[in-house]
Amino acid sequence: MNNVSKLCIAALVSAGCATGAAADAVMAQKGMKADMVLLPKFLGILVFDQANTGAQEAHAELENPGELLFVGPTPENSVAGQIEIVTTAATQSRDAVMISNNSGDQIVPAAQAAKDAGAKVVTWDSPIPSGEAEDVFVAQVDFASIGEVMAEMAHSILGGEGQMAVLSATPDAANQNSWIAAMQDALKADMFSGIELVDIVYGDDQSEKSYDRALALVDKYPDLGVIMAPTTVGIQAASKAMQDEGLCDEVAVSGLGLPSEMLSYTLNGCATEFALWSFVDLGYLTYYTAYLMATGQIKGEIGESFVAGRMGEYTIEKDPTRENGLRVLMGPFTVYNASNIEAAAAE
Amino acid sequence: MNIAETGVAKSPLQKAVGHLTDWEGFLLAVLLVTIIANASMSDVFLTVNNQINLFQLSIEKIIVALIMTLIIINAEIDLSVASMMGLAACAFGWLFHHDVPIGLAVPIVILIGALGGSFNAFFITVMGLPSLVVTLAMLIGFRGLARVLVEDRGITDFPEWFDALGQQPLIGPFPLALLIFFALLVFFIVVLHFTGFGRYVYMIGNNKEMAVYSGVAVNRIKATLFIASGTISALAGILFAARVGAVRGDVALGFELDIITMVLLGGISIFGGRGTLFGAVFAMLIVLNLRNGMALANITHHLQTGVIGVLLILSVLLPNMRGMIRQFRESRASAKS
Repeated sequence: MNNVSKLCIAALVSAGCATGAAADAVMAQKGMKADMVLLPKFLGILVFDQANTGAQEAHAELENPGELLFVGPTPENSVAGQIEIVTTAATQSRDAVMISNNSGDQIVPAAQAAKDAGAKVVTWDSPIPSGEAEDVFVAQVDFASIGEVMAEMAHSILGGEGQMAVLSATPDAANQNSWIAAMQDALKADMFSGIELVDIVYGDDQSEKSYDRALALVDKYPDLGVIMAPTTVGIQAASKAMQDEGLCDEVAVSGLGLPSEMLSYTLNGCATEFALWSFVDLGYLTYYTAYLMATGQIKGEIGESFVAGRMGEYTIEKDPTRENGLRVLMGPFTVYNASNIEAAAAE
Repeated sequence: MNIAETGVAKSPLQKAVGHLTDWEGFLLAVLLVTIIANASMSDVFLTVNNQINLFQLSIEKIIVALIMTLIIINAEIDLSVASMMGLAACAFGWLFHHDVPIGLAVPIVILIGALGGSFNAFFITVMGLPSLVVTLAMLIGFRGLARVLVEDRGITDFPEWFDALGQQPLIGPFPLALLIFFALLVFFIVVLHFTGFGRYVYMIGNNKEMAVYSGVAVNRIKATLFIASGTISALAGILFAARVGAVRGDVALGFELDIITMVLLGGISIFGGRGTLFGAVFAMLIVLNLRNGMALANITHHLQTGVIGVLLILSVLLPNMRGMIRQFRESRASAKS
C-alpha cells in the first residue's frame, strides 16, 4: 500500500475522502467576488441558524468581497416564500443560491431562472427531488455511515464486549429502520464480534413511551451494557430513565442526539458519547462548494475534488439516493462527548 | 360614498373618477411613494423582467382577490378559495397522472371549481348558514380532498408546453396568467361599477333586508358570486400548477389570508356595502410593490409580513380615526354654541 492511499484511508475516517482522486484536489483561491444567498427551509429553527454560522465563517475565511445573505420565508409561507426568494436572487443576478429545499419540485422553475441568470444552484440539507435546475447537493450524511458510527460508539462504550439493545422511533420509520439495518451490517465486521445486539424496541418517538421501554430493557437484560437510540427523542428519554433510576454506571445510552438537549446527561455520565451531524459544518461546506463553483474554480462535474478549508477534501459524485443529481457527501458525524459538548450546546 | 351623489349625467370616465374616494386617493399616493422608493433603491426594480415577476409571484392571489372583492362588498366571505386552488391543482395533477389529456382535464377541473362553489352557495343561500362557517368547513374539506388525491408525492412531469404557458411570455412580455388577470379586472370593474348586477351587490351588502323587500333576487346574486369564486379559484389553481410546474397537497396553503388582506386594505368594508375594485387594485399593487421592494432590499420575510400587518391595521384605523376626529370637532363646536 502506497502512501497516498494510506493518507486517503486516514482521510476517509475523518473527512469523507474519495479513494484515488486525492492528487488533484482544488485549493480554494481566496478573495474572489461572489454574491451568495443562503436560504433555509424557513426562519426560526436553531439548526438553520447554525448552518448560517458555518457559512459566515467560510465567507470570512475566504475573504469574499461579495455579500452573503441569509434570507428565508416564514414557516407558514415556506413554499411560496422560497420560490419568491430564489426568483428575487435571479433578478438581483446573485452568483450562487444555496437552498435547503422545502418546496419539492415546485422550486424548479425559479431555480432554473436563477441558473439562466448565471447563478450556481447548490442545495443542502434537502435536495431538489428531480435534480433538475440543481448544480449539486451537499448531503449531510450517508445512511450507511450512520450504522457504522453507531457500531463504533457501542464498541468504544462497551470496551469491545457486551450487550446492546436498540430503542428506535416507530416500527415503520424508514430512516431509522435503514440506519439500524446499516448498523447490523456494520456489526458483522470482526472488530465488533464481541458486541451482541439483544433486542430492538420502539418508543414511537414519544418521551414517556421511550422512557418506559428503556426501563423494560434493563429489567429484561440484566447484563445490558448500552442502549442505542437513533432518535433524538429516544436518546433523551432513555438517558433520563437511566439517570432517574441511578443506572448510569451499568447501562450507558448512546445514539443520535442534539447537544443542547443532551448536555446534562453527557456531563453526568449517563450518555457519554452520541452523534449527530453538525449544521455549522454543513453550512461551512455548502458555502465552500458554492463559492468554488460561483467563482469558476470547479465546474460541478463528477469526480472533481476540492479542499473545503478546515474540513478537508471532498469529491463531487453521482447522488445514489436520487435518479438524477450530483452530491457532495459531508459525513461523517460529529461524535459528542464531555470534551466538546459544551461548545456544541452553546452554538 | 361610492355612488355618484349628484344627479347630473356624467361620462363613464367621470363616473369612474367619481368612484374614487379619499381612501383610494390615499392608497394611490402610498403606491406612488412605494414605487418611487423602490426605483431609487434598486436599479433592477423598473426592469420589465422584474415588473413581470412582481405580478407573477402573486398572480393567482390577485386573480382570486378580484372576485373576493365582490363577495366582501356583498357582506359575505369565502375562506375556501385557497383550498379550492389546492384541490384544483391536485385534481388536475391526478387527472394528468391518470392519462386524461390536458385539453379535457382543464374543463373538468374548472367544473369541479364551479361545483365546489355551488356547494358553498347551497348551504349559504338555501340553508341560510353564515358564509364564514360554511367556507371555513370547505377550507378544511377541499384541502383534505387535495391531500387525498396527491398526498406529499408531488406530480411534476407535465408536458413542456404546459409549463411554458405558466412561465413564459405569451403576448409581448406578458404571460398568460397576467393577461387573464387584466381581462378579469376589466370584466369585474364593468360588472361591479357599471351594471345593475353590481348595484345589487352593493345594495345587498348595505342592507340585505331592504334588498329583499325591494324585490332583489338576493339568493341568486349570492349564489352567482360563490360559484364564480369557486370557478376562478379553480382556474387560479391550474395557473399555479403551470407556473411552478408541479403540484403537491400543500399548493396555495394559507393564501386566503393574503387575498383577504389585500381586499380589506383596499378600503372594502368587512361589513359589506363599501369600497371599490379600484381601491382593491391599488391595495394589491401596494402589497406587491412593497414585497418586491423589500425582497430586493434583502429584508427578511418576518419583517415583510410585519410591515404588511401594520399597513392593514392602519387601513382599519385611519378611516375610523378620521370619523372620531370629526365627531370630536363637532361636539366641541356644539358645546361652544
